[in-house]
Amino acid sequence: MSPKIRGFRGELPITLAVVLAIGLLMLSQMGDNFSLNILAFTFLFAGLATSWNIIGGLGGQFSLGHSVFFATGAFITANLYLVWHVSPWLALLPAGLVAALLGMAISWPVFRLRGPFFSIATMAFTEVLLSLAMYFDTFTGGARGLSIPYRAGLENMIFRTRLSYAELMLGYLALCLLVMAAVTRSRLGYSLRAVRENETAAMASGIDVLRVKLSGMAVSAGLTGIGGALFLMYVRVVDPPTLFSLFDIGVKMALVALIGGIGTIYGPLLGALLIIPLESWLRAVLGNAVPGANLIVLGALLTLTALFLRRGVMGGLEAGWRRLRRAK
Amino acid sequence: MAELANILTVGLLLGGIYALVSVGLNLIFGVIRIVNFAQGEFVMLGMYGAFAANAALGLDPYLAGIVVVPALFLLGAAVYWLILRPLQGEPMMQIFATFGLLMVLENLVLAGSRGVSVSVNSLVSQMSVAIGPVQIGLSRLIVLAAACLVSLALGLFLTRTMPGRAIRAVAQDRKAARLMGINVDVAFTASFGIGAALAALAGCLLAPLYTMSPQIGMNFIMPAFAVVVLGGLGSVLGAFVGGIIVGLTEALAGFYLDPALKQAVLFMVFIVVLIVRPAGLFGHAGAEEMGLRDVT
Repeated sequence: MSPKIRGFRGELPITLAVVLAIGLLMLSQMGDNFSLNILAFTFLFAGLATSWNIIGGLGGQFSLGHSVFFATGAFITANLYLVWHVSPWLALLPAGLVAALLGMAISWPVFRLRGPFFSIATMAFTEVLLSLAMYFDTFTGGARGLSIPYRAGLENMIFRTRLSYAELMLGYLALCLLVMAAVTRSRLGYSLRAVRENETAAMASGIDVLRVKLSGMAVSAGLTGIGGALFLMYVRVVDPPTLFSLFDIGVKMALVALIGGIGTIYGPLLGALLIIPLESWLRAVLGNAVPGANLIVLGALLTLTALFLRRGVMGGLEAGWRRLRRAK
Repeated sequence: MAELANILTVGLLLGGIYALVSVGLNLIFGVIRIVNFAQGEFVMLGMYGAFAANAALGLDPYLAGIVVVPALFLLGAAVYWLILRPLQGEPMMQIFATFGLLMVLENLVLAGSRGVSVSVNSLVSQMSVAIGPVQIGLSRLIVLAAACLVSLALGLFLTRTMPGRAIRAVAQDRKAARLMGINVDVAFTASFGIGAALAALAGCLLAPLYTMSPQIGMNFIMPAFAVVVLGGLGSVLGAFVGGIIVGLTEALAGFYLDPALKQAVLFMVFIVVLIVRPAGLFGHAGAEEMGLRDVT
């Protein structure tokens, strides 16, 4: 019996149902600005982790340098809006496009490297581009950073209520999930997984490995760039160290995806729903008494996940479900 | 001319720091191929250890190593046994596990010190030596000398003694080493412990030079990876030369280009070497693949 393979059309109802459920969760918090703020960041990081998952999870290329694409998207949008008065909505396209191109340009030489060497090289690129961003301060604002003046209006993507921002981030999450679902069920997705499992075997069966990796990276970096643009419009004050941050952006994207379940469509979303509220709560409750408490917990979770739950919460649930069915 | 001599001296001394910081990583990543992002935190713990030994026992930071180095050996051995031994042959999970450890260690110290920076003084802190037209702080000179000595000692240990040979054998082929009667787990645990102890030694010797903050480990880890990979995986001499190259690159780029760009230049050089010659300048070609494949 050949296994039933679900196409994108079969996946679509599930994706939409998940987005709808998350949307209802958001509406249940209406009026509570504290929760809505956390939810907005949760959705943003769920989207970012989903983007990372395309190249990191499906393709097995563990980039720790995605903050570069995040920052690129933010700075492109900021400059288009502040200098050329382009609406941020329109700026999302070039933000994603430039991030995707930069992703391919950086990765093209680095994809020669395997395993940890690839990760270390992507980290080194983060350092290079952070230094350059601090140096070329007409584009990035340098150490002072950039700020977007508060001019509320739909065309400026600046809103009066937290709910609107949460909706914005939910939209971004929906976009990322749809792209992830489409890629997973496409030829590119299967090729990426073949490359992840065994590069030599993938090459032998006629897959253009470099091309597949570059395509995966372009999609992943492009979505990350859009996420960076939305982050900019939400916080409205950014500087290079924040945007290029290894911990708060680059590693966190990978961490959320890992804890949720690498390579699965909904794993990163699950990871973000668990991690981001937990972290915000720890920071709010323990932030003053024990500085860094949130990062201690996050680091311990990361180590424990790597040790005991390699396929994340999603993988653990799947394994448990299978055992349950077999037991019947 | 005096200017150039000054820059080269600064670069050389900086290179000594990088070489010393990287010796432990060279053993852990270069020789036994375990990815350890927490290595910079071991250096940080060494520095804070020197501070604590000075505050509690009144030890000079240069003598604090007597207490701090064995302590970090035990910590390193425990970290290997509990965290990295189950992840043998899974470099990607090693990255995540040691990154988690990095976050835990850094923030534990942050929580313990409540974010206040500290510093420790030694008798030799204020002394300096004049070589020709150049004035050199004695504490920096000690670091350079220590880097030479420790590299030499590690090189001799790995090539001339039975335990050292056993470590290299285990790194090259675990199965064959086990068949030759080497206790693989003990060899790895000991190597990792030694790697952590060397980081602690570096931390003690660097303690008088820096104002300590819990985040200082991050300043060391990326250059240390650059040094180990630049010099050549598995080559102790290579890592020493790599450290000097990194130091000189940073000093020259800082002076002739712009201090703000020295990091960019340094890491660009690193990336180029990584891409053109992943085994490093002194490593055997293909050495970078070792330990990443068919580990049983």
